[in-house]
Amino acid sequence: MWTYLIRRLAWNVPVYLGILLFIMIVLRVRDPVFARLPKNATEQDKADIRAELGLDQPFVAQYRDLLRQVCTLSFDQESWSHPGQTVGQIMKRSIGPSLAITVPALVFTTVLSVTVALCSAWFRGRLPDRLLVLTSVLGMSISFLVYIILGQYFAAFRMREITGIDLFAISYDPEVSGVGGMEFVTTVWPRYYLLPVLTSVVVAMGYDTRFYRAVMVEESSRDYIITARAKGAPQWRIMFVHMLKNAMIPIITRVATTLPFLITGSFLLERYFGIPGMGNQLLLAVESLDFPVVQAFTAVFAALYIATILLTDILYALVDPRVRLS
Amino acid sequence: MSSASPSSELPTAAPTARPVLSVRNLTTQFRTDRGLLTAVDSVSFDVFEGEVLGIVGESGCGKSVTARSIMRLLPEHITRYGPDSRVEFSGCNLLELKERRMRRIRGDRIAMIFQEPMTALNPVYTIGAQLDEALRYHTSLSRRERRRRVLELLERVEIPSPERRRREYPHQLSGGMRQRIVIAMALACEPDVLIADEPTTALDVTIQAQILRLMDELRKTSQTAIVLITHDLGVVAQMCDRVVVMYAGQVVESAGVDDLFHDAAHPYTRALLESIPRSGARRTGRLATIPGMVPGLDEMPAACRFAERCSGREDRCTRIAPRLTDITDARSVRCHFPMHQAAGETH
Amino acid sequence: MTEIGSSRAWRKFLRHRPAVIASVVIAVYVAVALSVLLTGWITLEDTSARVGPANLPGFGLLPDPEQRMDNAEWLAERIESLCDRADPEEALAGFRDLGSRRLADLNVDEFRRRIDAIWDTWDRLAELDDVNEAARSPETGPEVREGLAELDRRCEALLQPVSETGSVWRTLELLLGTDRQGRSIFLRAVYSIRVAVMIGLVTGLLAVAIGTLAGLAAGYFGGITDGIITWLYSTFASIPGIVLLIVLAFMFSGGELDASLNRVTGGLLRTVLGGRLDETLIPVYISFAITFWIGPCRVIRGETMKIRELEYVQAAVVMGFGRMRLLLRHVLPNVSHLMLINFSLLFIAAVKSEVILSYLGLGVQNGPSWGLMISQSGQEVMKGFFWQIGSATGFMFVLVLAFNILTDALQDVFDPKHV
Ligand SMILES: Nc1ncnc2c1ncn2[C@@H]1O[C@H](COP(=O)(O)OP(=O)(O)O)[C@@H](O)[C@H]1O
Ligand SMILES: [Mg+2]
Repeated sequence: MWTYLIRRLAWNVPVYLGILLFIMIVLRVRDPVFARLPKNATEQDKADIRAELGLDQPFVAQYRDLLRQVCTLSFDQESWSHPGQTVGQIMKRSIGPSLAITVPALVFTTVLSVTVALCSAWFRGRLPDRLLVLTSVLGMSISFLVYIILGQYFAAFRMREITGIDLFAISYDPEVSGVGGMEFVTTVWPRYYLLPVLTSVVVAMGYDTRFYRAVMVEESSRDYIITARAKGAPQWRIMFVHMLKNAMIPIITRVATTLPFLITGSFLLERYFGIPGMGNQLLLAVESLDFPVVQAFTAVFAALYIATILLTDILYALVDPRVRLS
Repeated sequence: MSSASPSSELPTAAPTARPVLSVRNLTTQFRTDRGLLTAVDSVSFDVFEGEVLGIVGESGCGKSVTARSIMRLLPEHITRYGPDSRVEFSGCNLLELKERRMRRIRGDRIAMIFQEPMTALNPVYTIGAQLDEALRYHTSLSRRERRRRVLELLERVEIPSPERRRREYPHQLSGGMRQRIVIAMALACEPDVLIADEPTTALDVTIQAQILRLMDELRKTSQTAIVLITHDLGVVAQMCDRVVVMYAGQVVESAGVDDLFHDAAHPYTRALLESIPRSGARRTGRLATIPGMVPGLDEMPAACRFAERCSGREDRCTRIAPRLTDITDARSVRCHFPMHQAAGETH
Repeated sequence: MTEIGSSRAWRKFLRHRPAVIASVVIAVYVAVALSVLLTGWITLEDTSARVGPANLPGFGLLPDPEQRMDNAEWLAERIESLCDRADPEEALAGFRDLGSRRLADLNVDEFRRRIDAIWDTWDRLAELDDVNEAARSPETGPEVREGLAELDRRCEALLQPVSETGSVWRTLELLLGTDRQGRSIFLRAVYSIRVAVMIGLVTGLLAVAIGTLAGLAAGYFGGITDGIITWLYSTFASIPGIVLLIVLAFMFSGGELDASLNRVTGGLLRTVLGGRLDETLIPVYISFAITFWIGPCRVIRGETMKIRELEYVQAAVVMGFGRMRLLLRHVLPNVSHLMLINFSLLFIAAVKSEVILSYLGLGVQNGPSWGLMISQSGQEVMKGFFWQIGSATGFMFVLVLAFNILTDALQDVFDPKHV
């Protein structure tokens, strides 16, 4: 197994180098110096700024520097748009808010949609199942942004107006970003994060339920299910013992591939509710052509992505006796 | 037990004995997006204790649907049984049984073996766990007793080193071994009826012989009634006492095995027999192709379903549907112009 | 795996009634898009012009009394200010704030007189603390409602009566109400069909074309080619899609590259399509194509590798058929269903991603789009105005739903093993 993992890692090295190279090249399509020039700038000003940003170095040297940061995990380059702060500091500060959305959302979504999919497979072809398939297809055809806007209006704004219950904040309050520990969990999280999480769950449910249902339906048509029924196994055992364990493989794959997608989902949520997470920071950095932040963030995203894929492989081997990592 | 024994329309080998399992006018339909399709049409037969009843026919003629109807293993929400269809077993009609009671019969009183040993076992559980399941549902044995029984079963189906195999997963076993496991699973609770749906089709010839020998021994030692579904006439000749020939969802002929092989009455049966190579062992007797195509479920002719492919077809065959009629007290045939010797005429 | 040319598969598809309806819906959308593109019955100017007061509800519904007063106030003030201009005649003639409706042919003094009449009524109503409340209450209700009706009549007196032909267009303009800037929501939503279909078609075709070429090459030739292409798509696939999309869209939407790209491709397309293609969409097309080619490439590579091993293809190789001919004759037809399914999937992805990019300010720059409409409706929703978000979502919903149903049916028919 170890040799397998090492081989997989080795294959991912060129891929990873490619990602860094690609992102550096794409970023350099636009010249960040322009945006930072004072009025009536001279050629000298231009060159000064260029040198200040480190862009006068040869491309290879810049690439090497990025690699060094990634390898040593010390993102010590200074951010261009937040002078005095290193990329590492920004990342450290924004990872918490992001995870406060993505992790609960992923857990809720997966548990809920696997359960709903199982129920759906139980009622296969009958009314509850048909309704579910219909709802999820309808739900998938509406834009994420619409859910966010309507969720904010109804759950935060109208609810307070009608019932007087002030449960959710309409948007994030920067004052609370310093709060941590127990207080965060009991007061800040429900007020500022729960609504984004719920929105994310509602949106993801449509896609996930549909996928898991397809998996269950596929599993339920397998021969071993008939064998189990011919043995006299009760329906619940067939679903929860026979089907579910077999369905674990696609479920794991799905969860793993959803991980990065939930981060992408939170781009929109973070931006809309003003939550200072990774996605929001990255957007700001892209807009202000803050190369160090964009490069480092992409590098971390991609590393996480590759890591999840490797993790999936390991989990496969744990779940499915047929899979040998070799 | 109910005493009203159904007046058998089919001849039986031992008319005085009561059949263990008796299928009467079984009609199975599927609700599909192409409408209601009749996969099995009015099929009747009896199975007696210790006997092997063969069901033969080309692939797609409804053999598996018949078997699964008996066990009620078809997807309930799309399956419809005919109003006068009955599957009599130990005094009740299985088709009307509550699912909960049906579950107690499955695996315990009636067991089944499937065609594809490669897929019939759950890939993520060990052999032992899967054998154990049936015992768990139908017996009150303790964990230790069940384990002993599992080992016994493995030995009975001649699996070498059962203690080790018990802990292995299906993918670690060969096809023949897996089929033995499936058989062991079916035998776990010593059923009264064993339905084997093409148990040897997916195996190669030497393994086939082993599996058949195993089944034959089981029949002899435990008096289990076996319904052996196959499209291999060689297997029929070797194993069966009586044979039901199916074509396009209907029984076209039913007879004792000797009568069938020496003096088949239905042109379809004859065609099947002729397609076996005369020379060499009967083991190689896979069905060769008969010219023409089986009509699809949604385009069944109202008259004789075999007429299209029949060499002895006459005008009447394409107009009137033949009925299944007794020609002697142990045989029946569905043909306007049966070909057996007693009929005394030739075409 | 079913070949796309198989008539049996298509018969099966035709039996799938929702899919057939979905195809018809898609055809209607494409037809509308084409009609806008080719005849220009809705122009970009129509969609950006004011057609009335802000946030008017659709279907000719009356706004609440408060807002009706605001609307009258807006109109009165607007025309008053025109009357105060140095050359009021000309200013009044150039009035275009009510879409296709024009001011009546009156002299300035008459306008002032009629506006004063409006103010009379208006002042009377303004004395009430809460017009909405007063209009509902049983005592003051009838009187207030009469006052509001009078206000509307007096506003109407400033305008020319609508002509027969003009009334249809006017109805369309106000069919789904107006947005915050008084623009016609209906015209914007319909014009956006054109934008969505363009984005879907262009990115779908581009991505499928690139993905198919790369996938075929990788799967068929193997070796180094396969290595490079696999490396490329692994690289792209390891950057989360939306990050890639945002970075690309932002980088291509400004600066010199964009300008030169515009010069080259835009100029080319302008000559081909007569200037009807939005050049500002080019960054969107490019970033979508670069992000989306991975999907089709992966599946087509897999399928090609399978096909290459098939006996008859191997036999053809042995018989010395040319590689190109083999690719075209045997491999391409066998992956064409995957191309179709992927196109359908990418169309959905493109239309939906446009919303997100537009919200972030990286999508459509010039003219309306559903994404821009939804993004702009956030504040209106807070005020309880749902016509804009409803219309944009509705138009988009029908198209995306149709494509979702179509994709499902195509997968059912051509790729039933797919989960
Ligand atoms: N679930 C089902 N829905 C619709 N048709 C079915 C279903 N199961 C079987 N059939 C049809 O019933 C017919 C008989 O099938 P089967 O009994 O499996 O044939 P075989 O004799 O080869 O075992 C076939 O035409 C098959 O297509
Ligand atoms: Mg069968």
